[in-house]
Amino acid sequence: MKTILLLEDLPEIRAWLKTLVLQVFPDGQISEAARVHDALELVSAIKFDLALCDLGLPDGSGVAVVEKLRETQSECQSVVVTIHDDDEHLFPALQAGAFGYILKEQPRELIAEQLQRMNQGEPPLSPSIARRVIAYFAAQAKPAQPDLMPHVSLTERESEVLLRVAKGFTLPEIGVQLGLSRHTIADYVKQIYRKLNVSSRAEAALEAQRLGLFRR
Amino acid sequence: MVGNRLFDGWLVRLLALALLVGLSLAPGLARSQVLVFADALAAEDTSFGNFPDESTARVVALPDDWARTRPLQSTPLWYRLRFDAVGMTAAAGPLALYIERACANVEVLVNGQRLHAVGRMRDPISLDCRQPLLVTLPIALLQERGNRVDLRLAGYALQQVGSGQRAGGLSPPLVGPYGELQARHARDSLLAVTLPTVASGLLVLTAALTFVLALARRRDTHLRYFSALALGWALITARLWLHDLPLPNYDSELLLACLPGLVALAAVQFLLHYAGWRSRPIEVALYAQAIAVPLSLVLAGPMRLNMIASSWYSLLVLQVLAAMAFCLWSIRPARRRDFWMVCALLLTAAFVVVIELAALRLLLPSPWPWLPSALMPLAFIGMALHLVQQQGRELQLAEEGRQALEVRVRDASADMAANYLLMAEQRVEQVTRQERKRIAADLHDDLGAKLLTIVHTSESDRISTLAREALEEMRLSVRGLTGKPVKLIDALGDWRAEVVGRLSQTGVEGEWAAPSEDLPQTLSARAYVQTTRILREAVNNIIKHSGASRCTIRCLIESGDFQLAIQDNGKGIPLELDGRLDRGHGMASMKHRAKQLQGQCLVESGPGYGTVIRLTIPLERHTATA
Repeated sequence: MKTILLLEDLPEIRAWLKTLVLQVFPDGQISEAARVHDALELVSAIKFDLALCDLGLPDGSGVAVVEKLRETQSECQSVVVTIHDDDEHLFPALQAGAFGYILKEQPRELIAEQLQRMNQGEPPLSPSIARRVIAYFAAQAKPAQPDLMPHVSLTERESEVLLRVAKGFTLPEIGVQLGLSRHTIADYVKQIYRKLNVSSRAEAALEAQRLGLFRR
Repeated sequence: MVGNRLFDGWLVRLLALALLVGLSLAPGLARSQVLVFADALAAEDTSFGNFPDESTARVVALPDDWARTRPLQSTPLWYRLRFDAVGMTAAAGPLALYIERACANVEVLVNGQRLHAVGRMRDPISLDCRQPLLVTLPIALLQERGNRVDLRLAGYALQQVGSGQRAGGLSPPLVGPYGELQARHARDSLLAVTLPTVASGLLVLTAALTFVLALARRRDTHLRYFSALALGWALITARLWLHDLPLPNYDSELLLACLPGLVALAAVQFLLHYAGWRSRPIEVALYAQAIAVPLSLVLAGPMRLNMIASSWYSLLVLQVLAAMAFCLWSIRPARRRDFWMVCALLLTAAFVVVIELAALRLLLPSPWPWLPSALMPLAFIGMALHLVQQQGRELQLAEEGRQALEVRVRDASADMAANYLLMAEQRVEQVTRQERKRIAADLHDDLGAKLLTIVHTSESDRISTLAREALEEMRLSVRGLTGKPVKLIDALGDWRAEVVGRLSQTGVEGEWAAPSEDLPQTLSARAYVQTTRILREAVNNIIKHSGASRCTIRCLIESGDFQLAIQDNGKGIPLELDGRLDRGHGMASMKHRAKQLQGQCLVESGPGYGTVIRLTIPLERHTATA
C-alpha cells in the first residue's frame, strides 16, 4: 500500500489526477489538498510515500510543501505537477527536493508512463533543466567562502550525462553512447537531483548564517 | 596682453614728459631791461596808511622770508623800493611792477599813490600767496629819478600756518616793461593758480569716477579708499586757489589740518587693500590718528601750529611711504605685469609727497612748488586708469569664467537629460517587463487552468487535443512575450529533445543532424518560439498524416542564415491539396510564421517522394534585435 498526497487546487484536475494515480497505483491511499496550508497539515499528520504537488496555488507555492517533505519525510518522493514547463519555475522546486516533474496537459498515458518510470527511479530531465543544473554547479565550483561551503560537486560521468541531455539527447540515447545500461543512466540522474538538493540546502543554510552574521 | 603693456609704457612716458615740461617752464633770469630789487627798506606798520618815517626803517634782503626774519610777528610790514626810470620811460610800452610771491596780501603805493589794494588785510587775510601780482605803473606817476614803490604786506607767522607756503614773505619785486612782465605773469599764474585749480577739478572727477566704480564693486574695498584719497587730496590742494575763507585763519588752518590725517588713512588703507592685505588694528590706529591730528593742534594753541602740524605730516608721510613700499613688495611676485606701472605711479606720488613735506618748512624756489600740482593729478589719473583697467580685466576673466561655467552647466544638464531619458527608458522597460510577467502569470492561471480542464475532462479526443495544442501555443506565446534571447545551441538542444522524443514515442525512426560545437549565435525569444512552432507543426504532420517510417532533420548555418530541412519518406502531401497546402497541415501558418521572421518556408512534396520542408531564417537580424 502506498500513501499519496495530491495537492491541486482545480477540482476537475484533482479528480482526474486521482483516477490516473489510482490507475497506476491501484492500492494507493490518496489524501487530497487544495491549498498549501492544508497540505502542510497533512504532511505533519501522515507519512507519505509519494507527493504530487502543483506549484501555483491560491495561498502560495507548492515548493513549500516539497521543502517540508524533504525535511520531515526524506523517504517520500515529491513530484511537481505543473502547467509550467520552463526551468524558471521548475528549478526552485527541484532545488527544494522534488524528484521530478510532470506537465499537466500531457495525455493520460504519457503521465501514467512517467509516473511509472519515476516510481522505478527514472526521473525526467529536460535540456533546459540540465543546462540550469550545469550552470548552478559551475557557479558552486568557485564559492566565495570555500571553507564554509560543504563540497558538493558532480562526478565526471554525471556532468557528461547532463551535457548530453542539454544537447537534446534522450536518456536511452545517452546510455547507448556511453555504453551504459538504461538503469545506470537513471541512477546518475537521480544522483544529480539529490546533489542539487543537498547543495541548495547547504547554500541556503550558509545564506541564513551570512544574514545572521550581518544582523549581529 | 600687448594692449596693457602699451598702455603702461605710454603712461610712464607721459609722466616723464610732464616732468620735463614743468622744468622747462621754470622762469629764466630777469632780462636786462627789468630791474630786480635785491633789497628794500622795511618798517613796521604804524597804521597811518603810509610808509612810516624812514628813520625807523631798516634794510632787508629780498626775498624776505618772515619765518627767518620775524618768525613770531604777524603784523603788517612796509617795504620801500626806490628806482630811477631814466631811459625806461623812453621805451615803447608802459612800465609794470611784478611780484611773484607776496604772502599773504599786499597793497601797492607808487610815489604815494595807492595803485593796488585787493582783499582783506586783517585776519582772515586774503591768502594770495601763490597769486603773482602785476601792477601797471602809469607813466604820469613816475619821475625820472627817485621813484618810490611802497608795499604794505600783511601775513601770518610761520607758526600760525600749517605750511610754510602760507607763511608771510615777499619775493624780489621786478619793475620793467609791461609786455615782458605781463608774459611772465601769465606764465606764473598758469603754473601757480590755473594748474592747481584744474588739478583739483580733475582729482574731484577721478574721485567721483572711482566712487561709482567702488559702489559697483563693493568687494574691491581698495576702490573706495582710492576715491576718498583723491577727494582728500583735491581738498588739500584747493587751499592753493581758495583765497578767501569766511573763517579766522586759525579755524581754517585747523579745518585744513583735519585733512592730512584722513588722506593718510585713505592712502595707507588703499595701498594695503590693493596689495590684498587687511588689518583691523591698523585701520583702527589710522582712524585714531586722523582724530588725534586736529586734536593735538587745538591743544597746542595757535602759535605752535606749524611745528606740531609738520611733525604730524612727517609722520604721516613716513607711514604712506612705508605702505607704498609694502604694497610694491607684496604685489611684486603675484602681479608682475602691473608691477612696473604701479611702481612708477607710486614713485611719482612719493616724490610729490616728499616735495610737499619739504615745502612745509622751507620756501622752495620755483619750479618746485608747482611740480606737485602738475604731477599729482597725473599720478592719480594714472592710478585710476590702472584700477579701471584692472576691473576690466577682472570683468573679462569673470565673463570667461561665466562662459566656461555656462558650458559646464549645459553639459551637466545634457548629461542629466540623457540620464533621465535612460532612466525613463529603463523604467519603461522594467514596467513593461513586470507587466509582461503579470500577463504571463494571468494567462497561466486563468486561461491555462481552463484549457487544462478541457484537456482532461473533454469526452472528445479532438477537443482535448485542440485544447492541449492551445495550451502549448499559449505557453510559447508567453515565452515569446517574456523570454530572453536563446542561444542557438540551446535551442537546438530543446528542439532535438522534443522532436526525437516524440518521433520515438510514435515509432518513427528519427535522424537529427545539427552542429554540436558551441555556436556564438543567439535567437530572439520570438524567433525561438516561431521556429519551435514550425518544427512542431512539421513533426505533427509527419506523425499524423504522412505515414512515414523515417524522418531526417538537418540544421545548418550558412552565410548568416539558419537553415532547417525536415524530410520524411511518407506519402507526401496529396496533389489536390498542393494548391492550397492546408487543411490541417498548417502549411500556410508555417509559411506565414517564416515570413514574420524575414525568412521563408518551402515545401517540396510529391507522391512517393515524401515531403521536404525547408525553413530559412536570417540569423543576424534576430541576434541583433535580441
